[in-house]
Amino acid sequence: MPIVEKSLVTVDRSERLEIEGIDVSGDWNTFLRSRVQTDLDVRIVDWIRSQPQGDTISRCWQCGTCTAGCCLHTDYGLSEFNPRYFIYLAQVGYEEELRKYATTIWRCVSCNKCVERCPKGVKVEEVIHTIGSYLEFTGGAPESPADRFDRAYTENLLRRGVLDEASLFRTYERMEGRTMPAGEMLKMGFQLFRSGRLRTGPLAHRTRGWRRFGNVLREKLKEDERCRRASLSAAGGTGGHSP
Amino acid sequence: MNPILVLGAGPAGLSAAAEIAELGAPTILVEREAYLGGNPKRWHYSLLAPDLRPSDEILGPLIAKVEGNPRVQLHRSTTVTKAERLPKGFRITLKTGDALETQEVSAVVLATGFDHFDSRRKFEYGYGRYPDVLDFKELEGMIHDDRVLRPSDGKPPRRIAWILCVGSRDLQVGNPWCCRMGCAVSIKQAVEIRQKHPDIDAYVYYMDIRTYGLWEDLYWKSMQEYGVKFIRGRIGQVTLAEGGSQLLATGEDTILRRPTEVPFDMIVLASGMEPGTGTQEAAALFGVPVGPEGFLTPNLSDMNPVDSGLPGVFLAGAATGPKAIPDSVTEGMGAALRAYQYARN
Repeated sequence: MPIVEKSLVTVDRSERLEIEGIDVSGDWNTFLRSRVQTDLDVRIVDWIRSQPQGDTISRCWQCGTCTAGCCLHTDYGLSEFNPRYFIYLAQVGYEEELRKYATTIWRCVSCNKCVERCPKGVKVEEVIHTIGSYLEFTGGAPESPADRFDRAYTENLLRRGVLDEASLFRTYERMEGRTMPAGEMLKMGFQLFRSGRLRTGPLAHRTRGWRRFGNVLREKLKEDERCRRASLSAAGGTGGHSP
Repeated sequence: MNPILVLGAGPAGLSAAAEIAELGAPTILVEREAYLGGNPKRWHYSLLAPDLRPSDEILGPLIAKVEGNPRVQLHRSTTVTKAERLPKGFRITLKTGDALETQEVSAVVLATGFDHFDSRRKFEYGYGRYPDVLDFKELEGMIHDDRVLRPSDGKPPRRIAWILCVGSRDLQVGNPWCCRMGCAVSIKQAVEIRQKHPDIDAYVYYMDIRTYGLWEDLYWKSMQEYGVKFIRGRIGQVTLAEGGSQLLATGEDTILRRPTEVPFDMIVLASGMEPGTGTQEAAALFGVPVGPEGFLTPNLSDMNPVDSGLPGVFLAGAATGPKAIPDSVTEGMGAALRAYQYARN
């Protein structure tokens, strides 16, 4: 790939480092990836069609009625949320382009205007969520701090059936590799103490019968995971890199 | 009454000859080829859109109506070389091999049909150079014989692309009109192939899909039931992929707004309809005006689509423009009636 004149490249970042008026951000030797699309992946649409909520995807003929009425796209102004486009990418099988929207796609608020209006009976809202699930199951979006927090939260909750805020906070700090300033810590500790949530470690709250219930819950989560893998491989899916 | 001449034994001509005979008038049916049935027969069309019935089921009964009909005089491998206008009708010279024969006819139905666009003229697509680039009329024959294999190595294809509007809606080749059936026939082929070989992926590259009227059903079904994929954009060129075993279709996905270079095992060109050589000859012979596209021009295409405006000369089928088989059969019937009325008075 060629080295391209800087002025021609739109760099996807807002922070810039300038020293004495000279931009030293260091993106001079920007490499462009080829824009040429070289393959079509039928596995995406095959999997989506195999799902009870996704089978109407193949009806779509790209008229744009759904996007025209989409409250996120029009009223809310979230221009990258375009259900028509998501469906096309999944239908034709442009995996890489589709994955760019792995997070955006979940912002649908399920107002169902698209389903009401679709002239071909595509259950747009359901299809969009199925596409989102496909992306999630096959790698999803790059993990964000929020995702990591969600993970820490679930694990924490599964331990005793009740949240241990102080321990959650410590875990999360460790995950992100940073600590809060001492003043902030003291302030939060005081608040936690006042609200009775500082009971951590051996003093932590417990849930009666949690050992049994927690095991059932863990078993259920494992079962869900097995199901999604099975459905992916049954559709000849990528099964690929797990989240 | 002198017999009525029907020129061309495709769907329109067969239908016209059968109806004239049914009305009780003698008919001369002249066909340049050795067989009856026109282009559908010539290229071994498989199932016919929109009802997906085998072409033999539709043409068979039409052929049976004229073959062995005592009122129909059949001339195969015959052309009309001369036509002199008489006070009523024409004196025509028929040429079969080297034998010439003169007959007087009271009216003429021109059902001289179309020719498929010669895809070699759209050289960017490599038809004639790459064996796995096929014209869709050839694929018809393959589907008909259930032998959908790559001509280059005889292996079954895994992924096929159809390119619509080859030699249609294209000023570069001088054909700005729509062929009307390319969409439906391509989609029908994709459906037939997906029915028999679900492991073959079928992609249709389109600008718009013109499965007009009730044919829309075929288009919908192809997506919903057979998973045929539609990619918007016209392919710019076809080349050999690296290694030489696959074809590379280069185009723009106009929805994605990105260039695409996708490998395919087989590429099928939906070649358009052009006025047949027979149609051009007939126009000269009987003095029928032709439009800028080269098709015969009806006098009033809305009120009298089968009248040429010249006394005793009637038109039917794809000689007057791209037409589907049901429409050609209907026009054959209309032209038969008009010719009969003219000949009887």
